[in-house]
Amino acid sequence: MSTILQRHNAKISGSGATTMMFAHGFGCDQNMWRFVAPAFEDEFSVLMFDHIGAGGSDHSVYEPERYATLAGYADDVVELARASEIERGVFVGHSVSAMIGILAAKQAPELFDTLILVGPSPRYTDDGDYIGGFAEPQIEDLLEFLDSNHLGWSQVMAPAIMANPDRPELAQELTDSFCRSDPEIAKRFARATFLSDNRDDLAGVKARTLILQCRDDVIAPISVGEFVHQAIPGSEFVVLDATGHCPNLSAPEQTIAAMKAFL
Amino acid sequence: MPEPQRPRTDDRGDEGLSLSGEDAEAGAAAANDLEDLFENAPCGYVSTDKDGRITRANATLAQWISASAADLVGKRFSELLTIGGKLYYETHFSPLLRMQGSFTEVALDLACEGGRKLPVLVNAVERRDDAGKPLFVRITIFNASERRRYERSLVEAKAAAEQAMHAEHAAAELREQFIAVLGHDLRNPLASIAGGIRLIGKESVSERGRKVLDLMEGSIVRASTLIDNVMDFARARLGSGIGLSPDPNTRIAPVIEQVVAELRSIARDRTIQARIDPDLDVEADHGRIGQLVSNLLGNALTHGSAEQPVRLTATTAAGMFEISVANGGAPISPDAMEHLFQPFFRGSVRPSQQGLGLGLHIAAEIAKAHGGTIGVASDDVETRFTFTMPCRQEAVEVE
Repeated sequence: MSTILQRHNAKISGSGATTMMFAHGFGCDQNMWRFVAPAFEDEFSVLMFDHIGAGGSDHSVYEPERYATLAGYADDVVELARASEIERGVFVGHSVSAMIGILAAKQAPELFDTLILVGPSPRYTDDGDYIGGFAEPQIEDLLEFLDSNHLGWSQVMAPAIMANPDRPELAQELTDSFCRSDPEIAKRFARATFLSDNRDDLAGVKARTLILQCRDDVIAPISVGEFVHQAIPGSEFVVLDATGHCPNLSAPEQTIAAMKAFL
Repeated sequence: MPEPQRPRTDDRGDEGLSLSGEDAEAGAAAANDLEDLFENAPCGYVSTDKDGRITRANATLAQWISASAADLVGKRFSELLTIGGKLYYETHFSPLLRMQGSFTEVALDLACEGGRKLPVLVNAVERRDDAGKPLFVRITIFNASERRRYERSLVEAKAAAEQAMHAEHAAAELREQFIAVLGHDLRNPLASIAGGIRLIGKESVSERGRKVLDLMEGSIVRASTLIDNVMDFARARLGSGIGLSPDPNTRIAPVIEQVVAELRSIARDRTIQARIDPDLDVEADHGRIGQLVSNLLGNALTHGSAEQPVRLTATTAAGMFEISVANGGAPISPDAMEHLFQPFFRGSVRPSQQGLGLGLHIAAEIAKAHGGTIGVASDDVETRFTFTMPCRQEAVEVE
């Protein structure tokens, strides 16, 4: 029987009394943090992991029921943090993992006293006055896209992905697994992510919270970042001069600087 | 925007500038051609800055999506895609590009004017400076409408085939359930008939009447064997396998004798020679072993020469229990030998010969359930089926 850390392909590095736990979002795996996490290894213990069904996690323990909503992922975060004896730690969540972190902190407040939310969105679809950025039929379009695209998708995910001669530090292993996921699992994760609504969970956040927002993010627009900022008492809001949804990849220096300033 | 650093391999432009004199005209023509190649190539070209903002797009792409190339400048590449593709691009391919420096053959849909979708395949490469910092991105887009239609039909065909297979499975299961229920329901009337025959047998019956009763009893044994086999087959197919309930009593000789007697009563015109060790000491499911013997004898009587006796021996030696059943007649052909133990295999039987072709199959399953095997040897002299199993089950089951 494997341990929960093994099942999540958890990697522990760095040294420090406080642990920083890095969680990746929908799409890729813990390598999403590879340009950011090393900058904290001097002062913190760093724990990176893959959600079940992503990257190098044990896909055989994926249960459609458990992961039908973000609560299942939050349970995993709590279990992982407890297994790693994290107390008063720092949770860093990108994209959907920002909300997963909020749910985990709500369930077990002793685990994290600091939350860093990168590109968070408590609800992706519009609802009355709330502008999430997408209409519900558009999310259905994504789910349909996942359905109709899996041939092209599996092709991209095949090991034939070109190795990168310019980046020898990217081992073949990484090249093969990064962003690769079972189409069925990807579809379910997409559903759990893009149909979630965690707006009511924001007010209960007790931890110190930093919200990092990209200037131009089609997935989580600035207005959504501001909504999260308004809803979480005492939170800090920083807009990074970066575009896209993944500042941890596209603007790692800025992301690190903003995180360090807050910590 | 600052001129991006020229990558190592891309030095043709400099060569073009160094042309002089009468070559200039040809050079200009070549330059025009390059411009034309870029603008009107049979594929879409897009360059973006490192953040994915379009710095230039060619005429072909602009025409595909009914926009002007100039209007595309400043947009993010993902904005040209349908919503699904946009989300997917931002969460998967954009990180992939940053991580690997390139991606190939990504299937996306361009969002064209009027809600039209253009299925495309996209390749991209990120150019970086010597320090590995991203400089800009080149994207090539191929119209893949036909290709994607083809892929989609493949996917649909696969889904249809899977669905047909599931339906077939369900139908097969229903058939087997039907067989199981039918077999079960046939047993009751058969038991009443057997009871009736026994009752009449106790009355005074003429000599001729007694013979008829004996024949009827034989037919009931045969019908019961058929029903048992059919039900076992259906059960095995339905996943419950051949069940065993080993008898605590290990004396199995009387069971075999009983079966031999039954078969003798059915085939009165045939000779069955039996040599059964009276001290057989075997742990087994007696009912099942009886069924196995009955099936092997039935097979020998059906397929063996009527002029020669069927010979049965049951012995133990060196911890192994062995039953062999031999008959004379034509040997089993090599072709038939391969299919002997498959269900519903009937060999080259005459239409008048009864049987479903389940007897040997069930016998083999019973042997397997006991940790044993059935071997067969056939030549011009005789055909012999030999069942062997360990006398004690612990010997095989416990470590």
